[in-house]
Amino acid sequence: MKLLGLAFLASAEAVALRYAVVESPIQHVLVQMPLLVLAGVLLAWNRQIRQEWAVPLLLVALTVFLFWMLPRNVDWALTPTGEIAKYLSLPLLLGVPLRLSWPWLGPVLRGFLKANALSMLGVLGFLYTHAPVRICNSYLVSAQKDLGMAFFYLAAGLGCLWAIPILFGNPSGQRSNATGCASCGV
Amino acid sequence: MSAVSELVAEKSIVTEPQAGAVKLTMILSGAVFALMMVFGLIMRAAQGQLIEVDPALFYQLLTAHGAGMVGTAALSGAAIMWYFCGRHIVLTAGIFWAFLALFLLGVVLILGSIFIGGYGGAWTFLFPLPAMSGGAWEAGAAAAFMLGYVSIGVGFLLYYLELGRQIHARYGSLVRALGWNLILGREDKNPPPPTIVAAAAVTIFNSIGIILGAAVLVASLVHLLVPGFEVNALLAKNLIYFFGHVFINASIYMAVTAVYEILPEYTGKPWKSNRLFAIAWNAVLIFVMAVYWHHLLQDVVMPPWMLVVGQLVSYFSGIPLIAVTAFSTFLYVRGSKMTWDLTSSLLVLSVAGWAVGSIPASIDGMISVNKVMHNTMWVPGHFHTYLLLGEVAMAFGFMAWLVRGKTIAQMSGLDRVAFVTYLAGAAGFVTVFLFSGAASIPRRWAVHYEEWLMHDRIGTLFSVLIVMTTLFFVLRFVLRLGRSNG
Repeated sequence: MKLLGLAFLASAEAVALRYAVVESPIQHVLVQMPLLVLAGVLLAWNRQIRQEWAVPLLLVALTVFLFWMLPRNVDWALTPTGEIAKYLSLPLLLGVPLRLSWPWLGPVLRGFLKANALSMLGVLGFLYTHAPVRICNSYLVSAQKDLGMAFFYLAAGLGCLWAIPILFGNPSGQRSNATGCASCGV
Repeated sequence: MSAVSELVAEKSIVTEPQAGAVKLTMILSGAVFALMMVFGLIMRAAQGQLIEVDPALFYQLLTAHGAGMVGTAALSGAAIMWYFCGRHIVLTAGIFWAFLALFLLGVVLILGSIFIGGYGGAWTFLFPLPAMSGGAWEAGAAAAFMLGYVSIGVGFLLYYLELGRQIHARYGSLVRALGWNLILGREDKNPPPPTIVAAAAVTIFNSIGIILGAAVLVASLVHLLVPGFEVNALLAKNLIYFFGHVFINASIYMAVTAVYEILPEYTGKPWKSNRLFAIAWNAVLIFVMAVYWHHLLQDVVMPPWMLVVGQLVSYFSGIPLIAVTAFSTFLYVRGSKMTWDLTSSLLVLSVAGWAVGSIPASIDGMISVNKVMHNTMWVPGHFHTYLLLGEVAMAFGFMAWLVRGKTIAQMSGLDRVAFVTYLAGAAGFVTVFLFSGAASIPRRWAVHYEEWLMHDRIGTLFSVLIVMTTLFFVLRFVLRLGRSNG
């Protein structure tokens, strides 16, 4: 119930940003969209699925993720139809399937997804800061550059966030699971 | 000692971890080393005008030689470290096979881009050269080359993720595996062995290098396909050299685990981690990432403090290597009455070659020297020293050890001739490069002036010796493997 409430709160916060996202691509792409995904994650937090569903659900999540990475779809998300698609697809087709499939993913695949996310944030940062044209028609070129820099900062932040537990996990003790751990986050 | 560590310790004594996969990788590495050396021989002979090679083909060979040697050094180093890490942690075989498959896919893409697509923009793929071929190759060829790198990078990423997670699972954290308990004087009943300390350091810095390398590769790919998206040339160069420097250094740091694990069999003294060893490897972890600026000393638009750091770290980075690994090797060997067979000779040579190779590197790392030496043969001189006499010698030493059998016998006459020929060939070859550099002969030129030909011809003679002995080492390995398997 508490998680349901938090999911609702995240969705409400995302909806509350409805007008702010028109002005700022950072608020749109790096605040509102992640909030919608978070709402979906919280919605499915305590749910479990059978293992054979993990890969199809992950593919659904990645496909939706790729769809919303495209700048023209970010533009489209500001139209009435696009807005509805965004509000529905990000929590239900990205957040929920990602959360449901995550416990079944091996640590190497998780690590690969995280490393790939860092590289891709770097690439997005490059694209948005170096594009010779306005990639999103709805935003100013200066705002586009700000978003590019924000991608770089996010990559650095996430890199630290993911690396610190692996580096400093438990320096004095040792784990008993020699075949790897699901919780170490590698 | 916990039940798990007891189990692993027991396994390390009785099993050869994933030996089949590692042996196959070493066969492939040996074959590619030999092929790339033949490419090198052709280039030196062409520069010496002993044979005629079209300049376009010369630059294709140069690209294949550079990418192939860096890749194979990394592949053989990775196989060696995987093998010896398997003595201390349990590694998943499937990951190694996936790594090998992705590596081979990358090799196919790279060779196709070069010899079918005509790509000849050097292994460093520096922006904007891949997109500005002047008609020598299409954008598709350059894109295939970069996709080959991406495939190899993904393979290595999987490799390090598996290694990292198993080290984390065994030691609780990477800092413990880096020997921080030894450094801080904390009690550690099961300190990480040298191989694990090395593996933890390489896992950290090469993973960072690969992630940054992937970003600049994809950015360069976007530029190739949509030329309007121009990469900031200085940023791209920084990222490429960070990735390239870290990656090639990692190949040696991985292969050196063969020295830590094999030499104790000869000296009878175990190679254990201690405080100094751990400090040295933690210093390596920082230095290897901070020193790459010495590749950009001619880029005057770089912030001066970065270039100064590049120069200073170039000096410092030799210290952990020479003070710890080289000096320790000397101490281990001295007075140990060890038997000199092909394995031990090559491994000791590799440490010496690596240490010697760092000297011309440090000299070139001085801003005042770099201004005049960087684009000369001096640079291939220094990296051929620590590759031919360092990493490649480690790989050949490991291959000789894999087929040695349980008894250690003195070197046979044929092995002795091969070893001495390899040493003479490699030492002569790199000395000619260094002399050529000192004589201001430029590197990467397909056609040389009359005055330079003597250097090239002497270099060609030495490279013939290297190719011959490399073929001997590889064939010896394959034949003995066949005999032991049969």
